[in-house]
Amino acid sequence: MRKLLKTHESYIAVILIVFSLIVGIINPKFFSIGNLFGLLKSTVVTGIFALGVLLVLISGEIDISFPAIGVVSMYITGTVFEAIDFSGPTILAFLFSGGIGVLLGLINAAVISTFRLPTLIVSLGTLSAYSGFVLTFIDTRIINRLSEPVVVYSKLAFFRRTMESGQIAELHFSFFVYLALAALTALILRYTIIGRGVYALGGDRQATKRAGFSIKKIEYFIYCYVGLLAGLAGIIHSAHVRNANPFDLVGGELNVIAATVLGGAIIGGGRGTVHGTLLGVMLITVINNSLILMGIPSYWQRFTTGFVLLIAVAIPQIGSVKSIRTPRRVRS
Amino acid sequence: MKKLGFVAIILSLLVTFAYAGGTDDSHTDSYTIATVVKIDGIAWFDRMRVGVEEYGEENGYDTFLLGPSQADAAEQVRIIEDLIAEGVDAICVVPFSVEAVEPVLARAREEGIVVVSHEASTQENADAIIEAFDNAAYGEFLMENLAQRMGGTGTYATFVGSLQSKSHNEWVDAAVAYQEANYPDMELVQNKIEEFDDFQIAYEKTLELLTAYPELDGIQGSAMTTAPGAGLAVEERGLQDKVSVVGTSLVSVSEQYLESGATDMIAFWDPAMAGRAMNEIAVRILNGESIDNGANLGVTGYKSIIQDAAKPNLYYGSAWVGVTKDNMNQYNF
Repeated sequence: MRKLLKTHESYIAVILIVFSLIVGIINPKFFSIGNLFGLLKSTVVTGIFALGVLLVLISGEIDISFPAIGVVSMYITGTVFEAIDFSGPTILAFLFSGGIGVLLGLINAAVISTFRLPTLIVSLGTLSAYSGFVLTFIDTRIINRLSEPVVVYSKLAFFRRTMESGQIAELHFSFFVYLALAALTALILRYTIIGRGVYALGGDRQATKRAGFSIKKIEYFIYCYVGLLAGLAGIIHSAHVRNANPFDLVGGELNVIAATVLGGAIIGGGRGTVHGTLLGVMLITVINNSLILMGIPSYWQRFTTGFVLLIAVAIPQIGSVKSIRTPRRVRS
Repeated sequence: MKKLGFVAIILSLLVTFAYAGGTDDSHTDSYTIATVVKIDGIAWFDRMRVGVEEYGEENGYDTFLLGPSQADAAEQVRIIEDLIAEGVDAICVVPFSVEAVEPVLARAREEGIVVVSHEASTQENADAIIEAFDNAAYGEFLMENLAQRMGGTGTYATFVGSLQSKSHNEWVDAAVAYQEANYPDMELVQNKIEEFDDFQIAYEKTLELLTAYPELDGIQGSAMTTAPGAGLAVEERGLQDKVSVVGTSLVSVSEQYLESGATDMIAFWDPAMAGRAMNEIAVRILNGESIDNGANLGVTGYKSIIQDAAKPNLYYGSAWVGVTKDNMNQYNF
């Protein structure tokens, strides 16, 4: 029990609860079912991206190309499915977008692994290369008429009810997709050899090699999996906003990395958990979407966001300074 | 073969002379007027081309539109240099960067070419600058439409793309002042919510707004993304008939929300009319006419243009277009 209280994740959970209570006391409407459903839906796209970022951070690297992978996968899917007037099952759109994501992740992995370059540098290049590719070779037009199956998905929601105010509240299906992907990622990290290899790689590259892991295999796995998640996040984002915009998503990478770090992943590698990431994403989403509820004027909102984030990052550090200074161990 | 080419040249010359002569009754010259835009091939400037070409056909001038194939300031400068070498009579320009085209426009004017610019109120080297509208007047137009849909009573909120965006802030400031003066029963509950020209943020902020103010009656947007983003949130909460959403946007972006009734009215300015207005001003200057305050350019939205008090070569139209579900089919951009 004492050990549980000391983990970074429990600090973030406490901050999330305390912050939510503060917002709820200032404005009880925060706890209305419509608001909570809205917040859960808002975590989905950031959250799926963050699961990918988590893997890369654990392995001791930083990847910033994932929003470009997301936008390329989503926009090509949008363009192709519009052209063929697609009317098959929605899952095909997801597989198609995810597949393009895997391909682009494969390119990242090949460059990183073959030339043994830092991921940050490689992804800096592929970020502009991928998004530039779309604008140059595909189109610059925003697609506002998505194919029918994607439109159907965009309206797929559960627990529909009418609130006291007469407004409709519903929880979008995407949230369950997000939970499933989070569970899958957690299982891989915890119970598979390759998942343990990701932690090992972030802990000590040489030791990982000597322990018999294939570094190449681990790296290919990481970046293809990140590509898959980014491709899925892209198509889900597209369905949520009901358009495919080639200028979308890119620029949001730091927000996602911040959420992941907030959730306890360490930039140096070797540490980070899926449940921590879920909490980090939730916390960032709540902070970004509660300022109007608290009645904070627009001019103060940026300041408040930054200030609350600083506190959220600082508090767990106070408690865990000691554990960070001790030599890094492979943990989950 | 060679002979045939020679005949063709002679013939085309004859046709050109005949053509020039044919328009002599109303004008002394058939001017060649080029309109240079930021980027060629996008819906906005395709629409402007329609206006420019129709204007030329109707009035017997050689008018055409061109621009770089990619958004590139240097490329735009090169196109203007080519036009100076060709010796056109006038250049109308929608600059990609106002500063970047200053030197080349100065050179054009030295060569005796008339320069008219648009979306460039700070341009130094231009004979005339024509803007679609004055920012304050446009803000009042949006508010008037919102107030009418709200029946002049209830609560509303405003959005801007960013607090640093000069035009958005001017629109909203004028709108709020107009509401205070004309619709005292309306109440502003949240002013200038930032949405960073991001559809997703506009959507999320509207959801939050609807939670915080369940009685909300109206939303006024500034950026292209607010009207559809807020529309999506309003639609999801089932409030199409209660909450009025107005804002700047384009039909191509907001179509589905206008159809569902979630977004009530969008406003923009028609680039075809801006193209016509620029060319008309160029012709008047070429003819040596002066353009005074209140002048009628004979173009919708520019029938009584306002001359800026501080900068006499700067003119404003009142060329905004309000589009609802009923007339959205007339605009394909």
